[in-house]
Amino acid sequence: MRTRLDVLKDAKHGIVEETRTRSKERRTRRSFISVSVAATGGLLVALRAGPLARMQTAASTGPLAFPTHYIQIDPDDRVLIWSAQPEMGEGTKTSLPMLVAEELDADWTKVRIDDAPLDRKYGGQGVGGSDAVRSDWDNLRRIGATARACLIGAAAAQWNVPAAECETTTHVVRHAATGRQATYGSLAGRAGTLTVPRDVPLKDPSRYRLIGTRVNGTDNRKVVTGQPLFGIDVRLPNMKFAAIAKCPVFNGRPVKIDAARARQVPGVRDIVEIKGLDNPTLLMPGVAVVADSTWAAFKGRDALVVQWDEGPYASESSASLTEQFEKILAAPPATLHNSGRVEDALASAAIVVDNTYAFPFVSHATLEPHNCSADYRDGELFVRGPIQMPMSAQSIVARATGVESGKVHVQATRIGGGFGRRLMSDYAAEAAVVAKAIGGAVMVVDTREGDLQHDYYRPAAMQRLRAGLDAQGKMIAWDHVIASCSRNVYRKDPRGPHSTETYGSYVGRVTSLEQLDADLQPTRIANARLRYGAPLTGVATGAWRAPAHVVNAFTIETTIDELAARAKRSPVDLRLEILGETADVPKRADDPSPYDPTRMRRVLLEAAERGGFGRPAPAGRARGLAMHHTFGSYCAHVVELSVAPASNNQRRVTIHKIVSVGDVGQPVNLSMLEAQMQGGIIDGIGAAFFGEVPIANGRALSRNFGDYRMIRLREAPLAIESHFIESRLRPTGFGEPPLPPIAPAVANAIAALTGERIRMMPFIKAGFTL
Amino acid sequence: MPVISMTVNNRAVQLDVDPETPLLWVLRDHLNLVGTKFGCGGSFCGACTVHLDGVAARACSTPVGSIGGRRITTIEGLSANGDHPAQRAWEQIDVPQCGYCQAGQIMSCAALLARNPNPTDDQIVTAMNGNICRCGTYVRIKEAVKLAASMNTTANGARR
Repeated sequence: MRTRLDVLKDAKHGIVEETRTRSKERRTRRSFISVSVAATGGLLVALRAGPLARMQTAASTGPLAFPTHYIQIDPDDRVLIWSAQPEMGEGTKTSLPMLVAEELDADWTKVRIDDAPLDRKYGGQGVGGSDAVRSDWDNLRRIGATARACLIGAAAAQWNVPAAECETTTHVVRHAATGRQATYGSLAGRAGTLTVPRDVPLKDPSRYRLIGTRVNGTDNRKVVTGQPLFGIDVRLPNMKFAAIAKCPVFNGRPVKIDAARARQVPGVRDIVEIKGLDNPTLLMPGVAVVADSTWAAFKGRDALVVQWDEGPYASESSASLTEQFEKILAAPPATLHNSGRVEDALASAAIVVDNTYAFPFVSHATLEPHNCSADYRDGELFVRGPIQMPMSAQSIVARATGVESGKVHVQATRIGGGFGRRLMSDYAAEAAVVAKAIGGAVMVVDTREGDLQHDYYRPAAMQRLRAGLDAQGKMIAWDHVIASCSRNVYRKDPRGPHSTETYGSYVGRVTSLEQLDADLQPTRIANARLRYGAPLTGVATGAWRAPAHVVNAFTIETTIDELAARAKRSPVDLRLEILGETADVPKRADDPSPYDPTRMRRVLLEAAERGGFGRPAPAGRARGLAMHHTFGSYCAHVVELSVAPASNNQRRVTIHKIVSVGDVGQPVNLSMLEAQMQGGIIDGIGAAFFGEVPIANGRALSRNFGDYRMIRLREAPLAIESHFIESRLRPTGFGEPPLPPIAPAVANAIAALTGERIRMMPFIKAGFTL
Repeated sequence: MPVISMTVNNRAVQLDVDPETPLLWVLRDHLNLVGTKFGCGGSFCGACTVHLDGVAARACSTPVGSIGGRRITTIEGLSANGDHPAQRAWEQIDVPQCGYCQAGQIMSCAALLARNPNPTDDQIVTAMNGNICRCGTYVRIKEAVKLAASMNTTANGARR
């Protein structure tokens, strides 16, 4: 069974739709490490061609013609580490080089970090599913350790002593018996001439000096001084700017373009029709206005008169989708899991809840709007921009322009926020198509309005959950129906309705409970059923940070809380009963970080204890708790809040304090982990209270941050306390895991205080604001 | 087109540009000062915050013809060596996640501290509430503003 992880791995390798279950490219992870003398006279550590690179032509045939550099150590002791994965705020450009520097035993203050270009020898570039550290943990440590071994080898040769008697402290090799020592820089040149040792042992974690500490962001200095870092900051010689008009109705296309007025706008140079590809996640059709400045491009686009073929979904609305959802809930077309006798158990239960939930479309609203640059020169395309998936960008650009992928060069810049939006590479294709059409350099930029209206939204959904406890308060029945827009259907995935909208399974393809159990515990309930259906819709959907975990965890965690309250039981105890033990959960053999309920249990208990859950809150306040496991990491929050009357009959929620516990295995960068905890919580709260893209007449109604409301500083929690479990287990990521449990923890606290259960997002529609 | 004269980061510039053009695009596309960011184009997010005579303003909604003689300061010109207390505090607290909004956040903070060296929590919230951080770095932003204020007062020898 393919998992979401497989899909993401394939996306890194540019496999966009194909259903290959194992990509040969992944073998490049096992490419060889090579060393040589750098131009500076120091040590250059690179990856030598694996099987794939040998298939490449001219450029890579020379020994180091285009080496895939990882580390350069200069005679003056400076160390340069190339970071091959995109940075969009989750700290990869700091945490990944930390792995190299740790095993190298380098002095972090002497380390400089540079962005690596797209090169297949890096063995898969692109991150998603909170997998940056998880994917590169072995690889990068091995490279650092090998470089360190080369430096030791150089010292041993210089001193004529056995390498085994040498050791390193920060940036220095020592030989204890003779008291000799040498800096890395002084050894680097010699180290570059040595034979590379194989299978170098890695550090014992007790000796970590960097991993598990707080390290500030690599690019902080450039960020705070306003240096060009982001895709939108790219400036190429003779670069034009372009804005693309797209049909306001999803899946529409231009039929007649009147560009007369647009061409009269000062600075407008060209009009380019974009045909689009069959799969709209690759490239949407539209009309590009090319101009000398961004402002002229925007004005030119406004002046275009385009007649659109609005396609088959022009009458669609939020209300028509709700009708479809309700029909699916009444008669679910697919059963994904069915154990025991759910209806009988519900009939015999002492306490039953029957709740219907509604979730809207949510936009990614990355603060750096949709943009990308491309330059077409001598039959080759040079693409630069905020690219999360460089390899799939290369393949989509090749498909959209007809330029062979070997002539498509991709360089990712720092990314002004991803949240799932930049798993798509449509913006790279847009820039490339326009660049090729004008035969030069162009940056495609969208306005905020365009960005909000042509996003690939988090799928809207409705869910119904019936669950029951017996007279002793034990969970005996669980009947969950999910009616959700499917991003797999939208992107014409041949595997059909998917997966992350459900508990992580492919409809009709559930062959075991492994994935279900990994994502969700209630399937361990004796009488449990999961049913699913997707509506017919034209609305563009995609992955939004912690995709469907966010909505599923809301339904599950608020229902468990409600059941516990009805039974006058501790919601902690009720969860512990459902969780089970390590041995209860089947594991995928190839998953190095399988779901382990004992880890979830510990996170839950520690959050409850530290957050004072179950103990009296200060007067006028209440606490709520929720937990979830996402992409290998575990998280639980205890939220303490109060509620006061506000205008428009709404109640204003003040979140006084959140105490959170995460288990990510071995923590790598504690500052980054704390930042993701805080940011994930705030993003999750903002989206839960405010996030909604309404649909009418087949189009998105959201215009700008005036009506598509983002959480602001005044509304953020007053205090967030983050704790991470001390662990030596293999690390997992944390960009997404804090999100799923936060909205239910808030809703559970509101219920504890007011008795009201929120069963929809955005919460403002249920009468609660921030 | 009329010639517009402006002072940007203490440098006099003259430009042939439509006076209706927002200052943001003049800075970014004509003067190549890309530190000032485009976020919304409607004064909702504050990513484009600059100073006009030291006062925070949204460059995306300021027609370049409306500036007159006011001096424009962008993030690139906030301090000679990138060592304004707000910049130092932002680095020290490790505020940036994606970092896209942070130039605007720092400009709002610097304008606040210039007129109120010792802001209360409420005053910080009021001054910074117009700047959206999509990554949700608000907890650290609040800490950094306070740290910058303390650096400020220490540097000036003023009593807290």
